[in-house]
Amino acid sequence: MEFLASEQIAVIDLASGEVTEEEFTDELCQEKIGGAGVNLALYKQYEAEEPVVLGAGLFTGTMVPGSSLGLMTAKSPLTGTVVHTPLTQYAGMELKYSGFDYIVIKGTAAAPSYLWIHDGIADIEDASGLWGLDVWAACDKVRADMGDELIQVLGAGPAAEKGSDLACVMLNYWHGGDRFGLGKALAAKNLKLIAIRGLGLLEIAEDEEFVEQCVELIGQVKSGAWAGKKGLGDLGAAVGENGLADWLAPVLHRSRSDFNTPFAANSFLFLEGDPAELAEPANPEPGVLLAGLDGALGLMKLGLTVAEAGDVALACAKAGLDVSGVASVCAAGGTTEAGAIIAALEDISGPVEGLAGPFSPWTPKQSVFADFGSGDEWWTRRQAVAHIFGLDPLFVLMCPELTEEKLLELASLGTELEFSAEGLEAVIAEVAG
Amino acid sequence: MGVKIDPLKCTACMACELACGYHRDDAFALLSSCIVAYRTRDKKDYFGVILKEEEDLIIARPEGLEVKRIGAVDESQGEADASAKPMLLREACDLCEDRDDGPLCKQLCPSGAIYLD
Repeated sequence: MEFLASEQIAVIDLASGEVTEEEFTDELCQEKIGGAGVNLALYKQYEAEEPVVLGAGLFTGTMVPGSSLGLMTAKSPLTGTVVHTPLTQYAGMELKYSGFDYIVIKGTAAAPSYLWIHDGIADIEDASGLWGLDVWAACDKVRADMGDELIQVLGAGPAAEKGSDLACVMLNYWHGGDRFGLGKALAAKNLKLIAIRGLGLLEIAEDEEFVEQCVELIGQVKSGAWAGKKGLGDLGAAVGENGLADWLAPVLHRSRSDFNTPFAANSFLFLEGDPAELAEPANPEPGVLLAGLDGALGLMKLGLTVAEAGDVALACAKAGLDVSGVASVCAAGGTTEAGAIIAALEDISGPVEGLAGPFSPWTPKQSVFADFGSGDEWWTRRQAVAHIFGLDPLFVLMCPELTEEKLLELASLGTELEFSAEGLEAVIAEVAG
Repeated sequence: MGVKIDPLKCTACMACELACGYHRDDAFALLSSCIVAYRTRDKKDYFGVILKEEEDLIIARPEGLEVKRIGAVDESQGEADASAKPMLLREACDLCEDRDDGPLCKQLCPSGAIYLD
């Protein structure tokens, strides 16, 4: 697979310590397209060894608007089914440029380990100095040890080490879209984290035409209904949660985007210092990033102030616990005071209601800002498309310009392979379960 | 006329960096871009954009712009050289002189943070 890819799949056997490489072939791309399609095929190939599969979509890291998404495919400790957890922010992009298109992690390490993925090299490293550290300390340490602050860390926190079902995969210091407890799945393999750095290059088959179409597409996208809006407050208002913006306002700092994703969905809360201050704060850790509408709403609906919610989110982030799941479990158990919630994090676990299907429910189940679809079937199909092509699962809900026809056209231009609507239909059916 | 940056409109999406990388390499890559989003201080939510011009390094911080004359810049204090190719070794902005539509970074920036003046 010469274009929009690195042509390599890493197969990492934690039990034996061996790393082997397979070619990411044109045939596999043609049949499964990318992202969740290929991840699922690799999962099935190695199913007996309980794999965790990392992958990027066909367009991850490219100029197609919203091209941020990587994903982790594995059996969820919460549902017992195979799920695709989104890896947003910069993680998907770094994975795409790391020299591997897909990474199969199988078996269980004999001792705490971590993976270092970069420049087409996958190394299994000793994590004895990382095991037991909270998410932030582990991220800081691995970045300092490697001397690179741009390394992306997919981490399992102390909650995962203790076996909590709510232990999610963290993205550096922050929550992403994992609602399936895949942090626990990593820790069960004695895997503390996966460090990724991408300094590679992606060739494009018909580069001028591909880029011209992307420029035209972003020109259309820029004037979409999302334009002029940002952050969780505006996102909440779009789905009828009109109180969220006012609730966030007292501590809201800035909003920021995932890689090449026009809508800035992530909202940073300043828990110490003036949120209106724009100069670099002296405090190295002034707050917490909220990256999911469901988590923010869950905390708000517990009756917490936004400052209290920020404290809970911060504690969850360091422990590696899914905020949304914590809010859900606390609501069900009647734990609604911030101090009590934080105290409960020590041994909190599932179950969580409402988890169904292979895609994370961290995005609203409807189109956002623009009105172009709704309902479970529509949402599931849209998520499948996002997870196959590597597009932000939230942005595809606000961007009707990203049609399946346009994506197929770009796929053929970018790769010189022929993709059809029928082929896409088959992959969607497979990954959507 | 040159590329200008409004750091308060920037959302750190890196579209400008991706655009410039394509202009340099005719592929998708980030190591040759003369405009980069600096994002090494994410725990502080502190991000902005650096642009290398022929004679100056433009650092668009949230609190305002800083212009450093190349040659007088202490690279060790740079914002964007975290293990990647140092900014001062990259080619300067040429306003995408081979494109009829002007700088690609401006066209791809979704937030209006990049403009020409």
